Amino acid sequence: MDRLLLLLPTTTYRTEDFIDAARTLGVDLVCASEKPSTFEAHAPDHLLTLDFTDPDGAAARVAELAARRPLRAVVGVDDLTTVAAAAIAERLGLRTNAVAAVTAARDKFQMRQCLAAGGLPIPRFRRIALKDDPFLAARGVKFPCVLKPLALSASRGVIRANTIDQFIAAFRRIAALLARDDVEVSGDAAQFLLAEEYVPGLEVALEGLLVEGTLHTLALFDKPDPLEGPYFEETIYVTPSRLPVAVQQAIERVAASACAALGLVEGPVHAELRVNDAGPWVLEVAARSIGGLCSRTLRFGTGMTLEEIILRHALGWEIASLVRERRPAGVMMIPIPRAGRLQAVRGQESAASVPGVEDVTLTAHVGQELVPLPEGWQYLGFIFARADTPDAVEAALRDAHARLKFDIA
Amino acid sequence: MSDDLKAKVQELIDSMINPAVAGHGGFVELVDVQDNRVYLQMGGGCQGCGAADITLKSGIERLIKEELPEVAEVLDTTDHASGNNPYYQAGKA
Repeated sequence: MDRLLLLLPTTTYRTEDFIDAARTLGVDLVCASEKPSTFEAHAPDHLLTLDFTDPDGAAARVAELAARRPLRAVVGVDDLTTVAAAAIAERLGLRTNAVAAVTAARDKFQMRQCLAAGGLPIPRFRRIALKDDPFLAARGVKFPCVLKPLALSASRGVIRANTIDQFIAAFRRIAALLARDDVEVSGDAAQFLLAEEYVPGLEVALEGLLVEGTLHTLALFDKPDPLEGPYFEETIYVTPSRLPVAVQQAIERVAASACAALGLVEGPVHAELRVNDAGPWVLEVAARSIGGLCSRTLRFGTGMTLEEIILRHALGWEIASLVRERRPAGVMMIPIPRAGRLQAVRGQESAASVPGVEDVTLTAHVGQELVPLPEGWQYLGFIFARADTPDAVEAALRDAHARLKFDIA
Repeated sequence: MSDDLKAKVQELIDSMINPAVAGHGGFVELVDVQDNRVYLQMGGGCQGCGAADITLKSGIERLIKEELPEVAEVLDTTDHASGNNPYYQAGKA
């Protein structure tokens, strides 16, 4: 039986779906998290604690285990694990991207440098030290601009600034965010932020799988809510895209070129791009799959999940089809409207009854302290829909969201 | 036979499983055993925990099947969405 190592942060939304996929495939599953499992002593060959911020240390630890119980594949889930997963796989001679490529994708400044060297269309950018004077730093950028941490995800800490005063305020807010106890950054990510020009246009997300350097588009999502700032909270994803075919093809070409510029050749890719009259612009390429529970919108071939595809690819097993089902689908990541403690949620049954809505999954719990963007790091939940057209999917998601009432005090 | 298996599962929960999950403020209750399938409910820190599935499938189920090979499957009946004190909370990584 093939053994597969999954790196699952304790903060990931993806645990259930990846474990289900592993069970469907019938592999011998080893799970590693950054904090101990309560059963680690009972199952030391199947439950590991690894420091994901120490890729070499993690690789050495896993190599010891693999010497006794060989592994066939390693898959990292979410940004926190990508570099460690690559280091482990590289150490064991398993299918992976180079550690240097994944490291570049993990750091937004390094990513910009690679993309610029590759001639990709990207916003102008500067890396600014947090110890620098923000007033002086602001005088070196053009407005409007966007400030962002180097290594956080899902728009956490991403702030638009139209003026010097807004730049200074955003700079200080990001510096404070990076100093929080619940933010795990180190090295350059703890010392710098990125300032880049604001690129107007429609935003899309491309979910792909790299196989020996060829990028296969699994889904292209429209993000129909305008993302103009000051914060860039992702809400709705709808696929297939309603953009003209020629534009979609241009997006795919640019995304593929971006992967090549970074040196990524294997595994899942989640790319964010903006599209305007000048064509597609690359905002980000992540060497991991879509976050949150959003992968539940995707089914391939005869019903295979995205997680199964990722694991099959890592194992080197055949994948019958990378073609997404034809039916339009979408997800809403339910935004946190304001700070406070969640007292109650009403309207779930009504939301779930909207035609086209498949599920309403709340991930925040009553009593939980809610923190909205840009500091926030969690979702209230997710709404999933499938319908005959992308427009109908979007309408169903909005209708369902409107029926949900969150009491926050 | 089902009653006998049920008793054995309960003994495992009492002696090995709950002492382990208690460290994270959790507990496990046996709901039923039907056709060699064990139905459990998780509570406390386990309910809604982001790592609950790891605990269940790689920890609890593995332990039960090792001790009681006649068990075919361990299934979770927990309403995790209702958990209000999960040990690990999911978030944007």
